[in-house]
Amino acid sequence: MSPPPRWAVLGAGNWGTTLAHSIATNGLPVKLWTRDASQRDEINQAHTNARAVPGLRIADGVLATTALWDAIDDAEAVLIAIPSQAFREVCRAAGDVLRPEHLVLHATKGLENDSRKRMSEILLEETCVRQLGVVSGPNIAAEVAQGKPAGTVVASPFPRVIEHGRRALSSARMMVFAGTDVLGVELCGALKNVVAIAAGMADEMKVGDNAKAFLVTRGLAELMRLAFAMGAEPMTMTGLAGIGDLMVTCASPMSRNHRVGVALARGASLDEAVASLGMVAEGVHASRSARVLAGIHGIEMPLFEHVDLVLHEGLPPTEAIASLMSLPAGRDVARFRGGASAPPRPTTR
Amino acid sequence: MGTTLRDAKERARGRAHVLAGEEIATEVERRVVGRVLSRAETPTGARLEEVIHETISTEQARLARAEGDPREAADREFVLSLRRRFAHGNDASWGDLVALIVERYLQEISGHFDRRVYAMATRAAPVALGALLHGFVPKAGRPTRVFDVDDRVLIGGELGKLRALAEVGTIVLVPTHVSNLDSVLLGYAVYRLGLPPVAYGAGLNLFTSALIGYFMRNVGAYTVDRKKSDPLYLETLKEYATLLLERGQHSLFFPGGTRSRSGAVEGHLKKGLLGTAPVAYRHALEARTKKPRIFVVPCTLTYPLVLEAATLAKEYLRAEGGSHYVDVPDEFEQLGRWVQFLRSLLELDLSVHLHFGRPMDPFGNEVDEEGTSLDPRGRAVDPSRYLLVGGRLEADDARDAEYTRTLAARLVSTYRRDTVALPTSLLAFVLFERVRRDSKEPDLFRLLRGLSSDAGVKETDLHDDLGRALEQLRSLQSRGRIVVSPLLHTSDVAAVLRLALASFATYHPKPVIERRGEWLHVGDPSLLFYYRNRLEGYGLLDAPALLPSEGSRP
Repeated sequence: MSPPPRWAVLGAGNWGTTLAHSIATNGLPVKLWTRDASQRDEINQAHTNARAVPGLRIADGVLATTALWDAIDDAEAVLIAIPSQAFREVCRAAGDVLRPEHLVLHATKGLENDSRKRMSEILLEETCVRQLGVVSGPNIAAEVAQGKPAGTVVASPFPRVIEHGRRALSSARMMVFAGTDVLGVELCGALKNVVAIAAGMADEMKVGDNAKAFLVTRGLAELMRLAFAMGAEPMTMTGLAGIGDLMVTCASPMSRNHRVGVALARGASLDEAVASLGMVAEGVHASRSARVLAGIHGIEMPLFEHVDLVLHEGLPPTEAIASLMSLPAGRDVARFRGGASAPPRPTTR
Repeated sequence: MGTTLRDAKERARGRAHVLAGEEIATEVERRVVGRVLSRAETPTGARLEEVIHETISTEQARLARAEGDPREAADREFVLSLRRRFAHGNDASWGDLVALIVERYLQEISGHFDRRVYAMATRAAPVALGALLHGFVPKAGRPTRVFDVDDRVLIGGELGKLRALAEVGTIVLVPTHVSNLDSVLLGYAVYRLGLPPVAYGAGLNLFTSALIGYFMRNVGAYTVDRKKSDPLYLETLKEYATLLLERGQHSLFFPGGTRSRSGAVEGHLKKGLLGTAPVAYRHALEARTKKPRIFVVPCTLTYPLVLEAATLAKEYLRAEGGSHYVDVPDEFEQLGRWVQFLRSLLELDLSVHLHFGRPMDPFGNEVDEEGTSLDPRGRAVDPSRYLLVGGRLEADDARDAEYTRTLAARLVSTYRRDTVALPTSLLAFVLFERVRRDSKEPDLFRLLRGLSSDAGVKETDLHDDLGRALEQLRSLQSRGRIVVSPLLHTSDVAAVLRLALASFATYHPKPVIERRGEWLHVGDPSLLFYYRNRLEGYGLLDAPALLPSEGSRP
């Protein structure tokens, strides 16, 4: 028997800490990288990370460090859970230590501002690694940390990456499904947040469950069209990283994006909504990215566009809903035509 | 991988003549047959009789499509004999039958390949090419400009690095594929740059063409029959290419597979032959070869006029329109077209651009002059580590296929960057987009029909668009997204227009675009489409994409 593979987890936020804990609970040694020396000491001495995951007693197999080389050098696999806007910087630094044989997973939902790059694209631009994948799904960190059951997806075109991801994360309380569509999973994770903002608005405006279901489903249809045009497999959107994550983000009042929607519907400005949250909700950026991407790929995304108008151009939420309702209704779902003779293209009419 | 001293000595002795065709063929046969046999013993692998049956039925289907083609007579006879032996065979004879098929395929693939003849002929061929061009081009009674190949073929790019890398490892040239002239020009460029000879798989049709077959045989290409698609053939071909590479034979593949039918730069590459690079690299590492490294060198060809444009465009449109692909003898096999083509280049002082792009390792990392792989931030990377599992070199087809996908994506963006914008494609693009915009016709075929010669565009009406496109091209060039021909380093749009019209009027039997008074008329819509497509995908004039996103497909 070969010794259990060593893992490095980069980022000791709530998700990174939770994942490191899960991996160590499975008996695999983990080094958890954080920038913050006091956080490192707290994890190593008290086995807690109270600010990120209150109440969690972190497994003994997790060793925190503030040196990237220390975390990565003797690891076989690396999991990155760094917020999207800091992702590039950490990857660039980690690139000093990462080697071609490293298997790398990331668990970051979002696109880079302005460049609209996905996290796996950033990894390829900043490091030598090729064998990479993504972890995503309806996974509220706090629930996973409490040991509540959940499911997630590890997507990678590299079977060994999937195999390592499953071995590290599977447990009696976590079912890990496999996928190969990294692009699709990443787009779902980034763009569903925009739909969650719409759902938050709908909840606060008390427009009814019909309306909310309607908005969320149209959002999914738009997301699907865009993702498909960008090269994703349409069925990815029906999986845990797609509908699964969308359901939890749109339903859970714990979701930051949902709360932004609620605040906006109450009449708060975007700045006020963000300030009340204390942190930035991913969907605020993602709506901009989605609009640009929709333009580039020639996809109509009225729901995303209206959320963006509310967020960044001051359109009142009530008017946004009225305007959405006045649009001509086209096909319910896109037809995805494919085959050897015709390149697949989504069509809307 | 137990390597004994005796093995190593034998290998060292063998190196002097490793590429003698016979030794290669024997080794390829041993590997392919061995693999097929051992796969058949696994519970999920194809059984031998299934492999043989699939070979026979695939070949039969292919031959049925080529009914009446005398070139296929030998293959037809072979398949017939296979069927007979298959019908009377038994478990004990399947292995022999597989070996027989592989042997036959190897003969076809490597039959012409002999290293000594090859080395000599590569050097002789350019001289022959020069003579050919000299001999045919000048017209009697006309003061002749000498056809100097060096004026007509502009070779640029990372030439010093290319020469240096050929010394420290094995080069795989991967050019874009525009015309059958590509291989001739590349052969010439390799000679001109003083590079060692390069082996490549040339389409069988090149051998059957009387004129060029002579050439091909003499530059020592091995043969690829693109119409053969049974798994045994593909595996044999791939193994052959792999072995050449791992033994240090510089090679050339067209990763697009065939000439671009649409005229667009390749957007989608075939992974088969590209995928030999990581495998050959691993084999070379395992054999502890002295120079195991493999360097993939993209090469972009840009023609102001394309010899076979009319046929290629027709084939693209026919395939898109849904009718069957028909293999017709094209301009490449017509001597008269060659002469006219070369004469046009000469008279208009036009040149073909051949650009060698930045070399990469088989995993898509750039390499420096010493052959060291670099990550995107310029940090040194040990490429052999991509093949490690638990510290040991290990085969992994799924992993290597993904590496090849990354490599292919990086090659595609290099092709786009290194493509040269020329007056012909620029004018074709601007005029086509003008008509497209005005007609608002979303259907390509209706649009092309609408481009009939009655409809014209006033020449001066194009000036604004031309100026804007020129500006956009310069901006793209400053960001390293494309190369702009010196012919377009001007703001004199009327001059650009004149130059492009003159080019379009010389070679093609029907001018692509014609000037009648103040009006420009489209003489040949499908050619206009073809030349336009070279500039697809750069966002010029903010025109929406016209072709499927993969770019050109065979």
